[in-house]
Amino acid sequence: MKVEACGKPQGAKLIRVSAEIEVRDDTPVVMSISFRGDFFALPEEGFEEAEASLRSVPLAGLAETFDRAMRLRGVRLLGISGRDVEEILGKAFHET
Amino acid sequence: MKHRFRLLETGPGRAFHNMGLDEAILGSVAARLSPPTLRLYGWNPEAISLGYFQGIRDEVDVEACARAGVDLVRRITGGGAVFHAAEVTYSIVIPEGHPLAPGSILESYRLICAGIVEGMKRLGVEPEFAPINDINCRGRKLSGNAQTRKLGCLLQHGTILLEVDVDRMFSLLKVPKEKSAGRLISEAKARVTSLSEILGRKIGYDECSTALAGGFAEALGIEFESDTPSAGEEAEAERLAQSKFSQPAWVFRR
Repeated sequence: MKVEACGKPQGAKLIRVSAEIEVRDDTPVVMSISFRGDFFALPEEGFEEAEASLRSVPLAGLAETFDRAMRLRGVRLLGISGRDVEEILGKAFHET
Repeated sequence: MKHRFRLLETGPGRAFHNMGLDEAILGSVAARLSPPTLRLYGWNPEAISLGYFQGIRDEVDVEACARAGVDLVRRITGGGAVFHAAEVTYSIVIPEGHPLAPGSILESYRLICAGIVEGMKRLGVEPEFAPINDINCRGRKLSGNAQTRKLGCLLQHGTILLEVDVDRMFSLLKVPKEKSAGRLISEAKARVTSLSEILGRKIGYDECSTALAGGFAEALGIEFESDTPSAGEEAEAERLAQSKFSQPAWVFRR
């Protein structure tokens, strides 16, 4: 199922999330995800590589996987974090 | 000891050329063909610039912009959508490792924005830096700023609003369906201000840009040498304007 989410968590910039989520054995799994918004990420290309790598990630572990993917590529983030992304997407998923 | 910078005052330009020239200067400073550079400029025609990560259709009524003759451009920096009309825009390019380019992104915003704060004080305004990247006056936003780091250099650009027409801005931007346009406009008018509103008088581009250059010089300990972009920078700017910044593949990439 396609899930669209938008939010501005405390301390973050406006973040929009588009995700394809499948439920496998009662566990929501993010099959693919993309982000849009007012945040900053340096280097920008590293963020895009990390974003593309986020496939088949359990929703419950999205924050940690997001942060690790960014860290691995040396991406510095301002206004977006794994916790922000999981919070926004989780809320939207559970409301659908 | 003063830091020696080049000062370029290139005046109003088209959005694609403005962004092309910012990137061309980044390249020439990175190649050490040019010294660290502050550029002051404006926009003609009016334009909306999008942050690198923004979705264009989330933020902008593309058809309304086309009807209004407002250019649409995507920046190489992150951040939010900016409606460029009555303002002074600056861009500053500094090699990483330079004393005015701290490794910490937050500290570099604070340092560079100190130049804008000082500049605005010269006009009789009492602004304050609002982390991460804004400058406010009496709690309302006067200046937004955005930074990227590429090729071993820091590029930061931002705007200082001379006037703001919130009604016109929201005729071009997307209004979230959760809010009415009227409520959005009244909230924006409460959040954003301009030099003319603060000072209670009309302030023009030249007066503001002179104060801004003085502010950067004072706060950052810079000695400016006025110059014009090199022929190479202008050629690269035009190439980038044509091949990148005006191309749908770039503008509509998200």
